[in-house]
Amino acid sequence: MFTSPKSINRHIHKVKKINVLHTRQKPLVFCVSKYGARLWTGGTSHARVVDLRSDTVTKPGPAMRQAMAEAEVGDDVMGEDPTVNDLQQTAADLFGMEAAIFVPSGTMSNLIAVMVHCRERGDEMIVGDLSHLHIYEQGGSAQLAGVHSTTVTTLPDGTFDLKQLEAKIRHGYPDPHYPRSRLICVENTHNIQGGRVLPLPFLQEVRALADQYGVSLHMDGARVMNAAVAQEVPPSTILQHTHTVSVCLSKGLGCPVGTVLAGPRDFISKALRCRKALGGGMRQAGILAAAGRFSLENMIGRLVEDHRNAKTFALALLDCKPPLFAVDVSAVETNILRFALQDSTMTPQEFCTRMSEVGEDEEAALGQGVQVLMYPHFGNSVRAVWHLGISSEDTRLAIQKMRFVASRYFTGIRH
Amino acid sequence: MALKNTFLFQILKYGSVVCGSPRSGRAATAAILGRSPFRCYYNNAGEPRSRGGAGGTSHARVVDLRSDTVTKPGPAMRQAMAEAEVGDDVMGEDPTVNDLQQTAADLFGMEAAIFVPSGTMSNLIAVMVHCRERGDEMIVGDLSHLHIYEQGGSAQLAGVHSTTVTTLPDGTFDLKQLEAKIRHGYPDPHYPRSRLICVENTHNIQGGRVLPLPFLQEVRALADQYGVSLHMDGARVMNAAVAQEVPPSTILQHTHTVSVCLSKGLGCPVGTVLAGPRDFISKALRCRKALGGGMRQAGILAAAGRFSLENMIGRLVEDHRNAKTFALALLDCKPPLFAVDVSAVETNILRFALQDSTMTPQEFCTRMSEVGEDEEAALGQGVQVLMYPHFGNSVRAVWHLGISSEDTRLAIQKMRFVASRYFTGIRH
Repeated sequence: MFTSPKSINRHIHKVKKINVLHTRQKPLVFCVSKYGARLWTGGTSHARVVDLRSDTVTKPGPAMRQAMAEAEVGDDVMGEDPTVNDLQQTAADLFGMEAAIFVPSGTMSNLIAVMVHCRERGDEMIVGDLSHLHIYEQGGSAQLAGVHSTTVTTLPDGTFDLKQLEAKIRHGYPDPHYPRSRLICVENTHNIQGGRVLPLPFLQEVRALADQYGVSLHMDGARVMNAAVAQEVPPSTILQHTHTVSVCLSKGLGCPVGTVLAGPRDFISKALRCRKALGGGMRQAGILAAAGRFSLENMIGRLVEDHRNAKTFALALLDCKPPLFAVDVSAVETNILRFALQDSTMTPQEFCTRMSEVGEDEEAALGQGVQVLMYPHFGNSVRAVWHLGISSEDTRLAIQKMRFVASRYFTGIRH
Repeated sequence: MALKNTFLFQILKYGSVVCGSPRSGRAATAAILGRSPFRCYYNNAGEPRSRGGAGGTSHARVVDLRSDTVTKPGPAMRQAMAEAEVGDDVMGEDPTVNDLQQTAADLFGMEAAIFVPSGTMSNLIAVMVHCRERGDEMIVGDLSHLHIYEQGGSAQLAGVHSTTVTTLPDGTFDLKQLEAKIRHGYPDPHYPRSRLICVENTHNIQGGRVLPLPFLQEVRALADQYGVSLHMDGARVMNAAVAQEVPPSTILQHTHTVSVCLSKGLGCPVGTVLAGPRDFISKALRCRKALGGGMRQAGILAAAGRFSLENMIGRLVEDHRNAKTFALALLDCKPPLFAVDVSAVETNILRFALQDSTMTPQEFCTRMSEVGEDEEAALGQGVQVLMYPHFGNSVRAVWHLGISSEDTRLAIQKMRFVASRYFTGIRH
């Protein structure tokens, strides 16, 4: 996970090394993104950091910290933590579900859902080929839960082709050649496709198909609050179409830790067992649940600002002269922006590296160094994610930086 | 709920003298336990969990000896959590988590450490890393927490076969039996490959027993002889270190890896640290992520962990002292209704049996948790003492930072009151 400065320097030609490497106040940390690009964080003493790597970086503010510090707690394994119980009830009500359970992460939440929906040996799940569950959860559904997966092609808007989906259901069961189809998973908003909001009619149709074949429908709704805000509906309007849902509190909602898994009461009581077996049975978890409760009461509405800022940046990419970025602005529906570089002299990795560096000439030209952190992404694109730690001023500075990088390193003609 | 009927039946069986005011007793117990007091230790069946908190009646004092997992963070720990510097720990950027992990590794004499949400996950990760090839087998004590209380996760989730050794009363094993359990026939395809031995220190079910250092040395020697790893479920190893008056590293030098709970006697709200060699920990990181233990700004929790390692280890000796005091009082009780081996009370867990067979462990625990009107008249105050019925027809009581010596005194008083009220010298 940690790497040396030397690996970055391969991409740097004439930029002065940043002296932050030896800063004592703020230890420099290197991280490897999912795509192997090496970026560094922890700003210089005078550069501003605009961290667009993910909405998982959100930190609790003073009010949330106070809520956590004052939380009434108990032993949650014994069911005695009143704050956890309250959060679970609040979330269930908000989602229009019978019950809910608080877990340490979205990965665990999805895994529990798979373990409960597909609890017999020989069960199979159908999942999008670009879903977080399939790509980023270390194959846990197979590795730990023993469930076979089959995939459907994810379309650019995050949906599937329903005919392909229907064909993936195992109509030959119980012939012993075939596993039994038990679960369809959808992801809303869709991460890899760029924070896409699943249309409600699509959800309705998938649910109808699921019901027709007696299969369950689980939504990886890590960012479903962003979807609800974008569609201007209560979460329950979206979630009426799914049997169960996983909703992250630690992303755009700003909590330090945790996800809520919600669904029918008997599902949740089985989920409790799976959570314990996986090691998610925490004790005085009310400390964390207090943040969750605070966020559900106070932090949903502000998501619209993240959407606005993402859109602003997207439009600026489109306006950039020369026209070096390819972005479908109509596809920028929430807080995630996915864009490509037209000019093939620069890879997404190189672009991200340049956006994160600060050279002397930048401070001279712009008055201030700005480090904009993003990740190279699927399909030779770049992903940037807006969240509560990014103001409209930060967005303006990021745009300025983008233009600066564009003007410095791109040429109109191929070398 | 059917359980209430059972409770009622017990009350009726013993007549109305059981509680001066049955309603307050039942309500109090239900409020505290959230379910029938007849439930055994760790028997949380799917009852609705809306009854929260060990609140008790408005004027009774609650002495909660069910477990040291009930410990709550105090003001100083809460402040440490509130002020914690955080970052995204999945990205390795939470400075408080990194600091805790380093501090723990140093304290344990290990190369590295990783912070996880629970002891169950910690042990499961250890199994997953030590036994990462299909066909691996682990050897574990038949009364170990890993074997009994972790839902068979090592098989269910990690696909690892287990074989057990008999746990002796002091928490150790017979080394000849242990050696015989190692699969000497491997690689003959009939046999799995022995990869891991697990020990538990202190031993929970056997009553908080401290593993002798020579035993650990011998188990390690055996493990090394056969190329097998040795993992310690050291959920309460700090209690062992305090009892043996050695630094934790003295105990842990004998094991390859260890799991140490922060959420028990050390008082943290959440978490456990898994420690071991550097390459083990880097693999453990992957397992933790797959299991769903990759938390984000976990520094909030790690701050409590760091605080506890700096401030909360020494005080464990008080818990040991209080447990011993209560054990001696059981022994002194007239009539002699309790069987307890006081020399086996080494740390904060007390395991005892009832001599008189008119009362089961469940009934005793129920009576200790109730408050009748006559108790307040006789003692001046109602005291609800919560314990769990335990393995082998015994009762388990656990001391922790939420139990003062005054609480212990009141628990002793309650015990004598219950004994005088409900036991008879002769069988009916």
